[in-house]
Amino acid sequence: MRSAALLFVYSLKRVRTLALTAGLLLAAFQLVLIFVAGSIQSSGGFNQLSALLPPFARELLGPSVAAFMSFSGIVCLGYFQLAVMGALIALAVTLATTPASEVEIGFMDLILARPLARHWIISRTIALTIVVTAFMLALMVAGTWTGLRLFAPKGVQWPSATLVNSLAVNLGMLALCWGGVAMAIGAASRRRSVAGGAAGLLALATFLLDYVGRLWQPAQSVAWLSPFRYYNPFDLITGNALPFKNLVVLGAIALAGFATAYALFAQRDISH
Amino acid sequence: MAPISIRGLSKRYGNVLAVNNLSLDAIQGEILGFLGLNGAGKTTTIRILLDLLRPNRGNAFILGHDCQSDGIRARRNIGYLPGEMGIYSDLTGRDVLDLLAGLSGHAVNMSRRGELQERLEFPARDLHRRLREYSTGMKRKLGLIQAFQTDPMILILDEPTEGLDPLMQESFYKLLLDVKRSGRTVFMSSHVLSEVDRVCDRIALVRKGELVLLSNVEELRKLAARSVRVLFSGDVPAPAGLPAGTELIETSPQSWNLEVQGPLGPLLRVIATLPVRDIEIEEPKLEDVVLKYYRDGAR
Repeated sequence: MRSAALLFVYSLKRVRTLALTAGLLLAAFQLVLIFVAGSIQSSGGFNQLSALLPPFARELLGPSVAAFMSFSGIVCLGYFQLAVMGALIALAVTLATTPASEVEIGFMDLILARPLARHWIISRTIALTIVVTAFMLALMVAGTWTGLRLFAPKGVQWPSATLVNSLAVNLGMLALCWGGVAMAIGAASRRRSVAGGAAGLLALATFLLDYVGRLWQPAQSVAWLSPFRYYNPFDLITGNALPFKNLVVLGAIALAGFATAYALFAQRDISH
Repeated sequence: MAPISIRGLSKRYGNVLAVNNLSLDAIQGEILGFLGLNGAGKTTTIRILLDLLRPNRGNAFILGHDCQSDGIRARRNIGYLPGEMGIYSDLTGRDVLDLLAGLSGHAVNMSRRGELQERLEFPARDLHRRLREYSTGMKRKLGLIQAFQTDPMILILDEPTEGLDPLMQESFYKLLLDVKRSGRTVFMSSHVLSEVDRVCDRIALVRKGELVLLSNVEELRKLAARSVRVLFSGDVPAPAGLPAGTELIETSPQSWNLEVQGPLGPLLRVIATLPVRDIEIEEPKLEDVVLKYYRDGAR
């Protein structure tokens, strides 16, 4: 246990610069977004923007179009903007494939030549992925409240704390879900690029599946297979509560990924 | 109880049998050289000992603990130097040593580490540099320090002198002999036959995954033929017959080049009656025997 804790601290130390830089960038993005939303709000531009939306975007947004085309909606965009989602998922995938990277460079040989059970490698990686993802989201939420305090026009309605937290929790679970998938692939891989690439491609494919499913009726029957289906920020910004089912599904995928990773890593040959 | 015991070990990669029914023991306090050509199964065997690879058949034990089913206990007293030191280049030497000592479950013995640094000429200030700034030799020295720093009962070293300059090799051999004197067991793979000849007590030679030779180095040396050159002060005809174990390699009117396996006495009796000016005897080399095993395998 002591060795596993030591390994965790060492791993955390190695990723601290990446986590801090990415977290601060995402927090800064929240500030910029709020500044922009404040400017639009002050100039009364939300109505004009709403009118400019093309029909397909209206269809995609559905009844949430009004909620989205508001100061609060744009502030919330910081939690479902494609680049933000991509960055968080990419970071989770990167962290989750740490064992594959350690196998690849040969560091795993040195670690496992010590009296350390293999399951601690996976446990360390799960802890690392959760802690860093939570840290990133915490910085994002901090960025949102700081931005609102600094740049929100007077009298404008802020998004509620429940809404911001719900978006953050749901996004965090989505990132962990992909972390679990990547970890399962990475536990059997010799190369991080292979594991990360496979997880990334799978994420892209399922993202497109969800996207198509929202626009095209026939695709809806299989869209439930996409983890992205269980992160529906537009529902949340219209005032609906965070569906517990979404968290359960994403959490279950993450857990299944972690369990698969334990099983695969325990049995595999470590060779690079 | 042998510190390292391997029983009927086999490992297959697809159709390739990397290790085939390998059995051997390392004796406490010895340096066992584990030899073989590339792909002979040396590294695979070492990786099975460390439970990095899982055998298809057979068992390996370290200090009586099965390396697979009781791997944690088996690895509690091991120092391991891999063939290639795979370490993240953004770490400092000190990070690496502290982490690996910590993972061994032993407190860092700073005086032991300092002694190793001194013997391997590894300045303390270099421990604070990142590994990306290290040369190949520096990384190798760091690898040796991490393997020896917890003073383990068993050292498993894969090509330990690869990348070390001759002076450092010399320091390393002394270090090896010191740990041997303190009762530690060393299991090392090597390609450098002169090094094996010099430091190992026994050698185990594997070919295509099979153990083809397990012998004491001294006894093995006796198997090698001595080169004998006899110089005459006058012309001497080629010998009509020579004692058993003696082979005439080359002859000229005033010299014979021979290879003698076994005692020299019978040959000396033959040449005693001839006008001998000088005799040059070259000591038998382990290399000659080992290379023969290598060549036989290559055919």
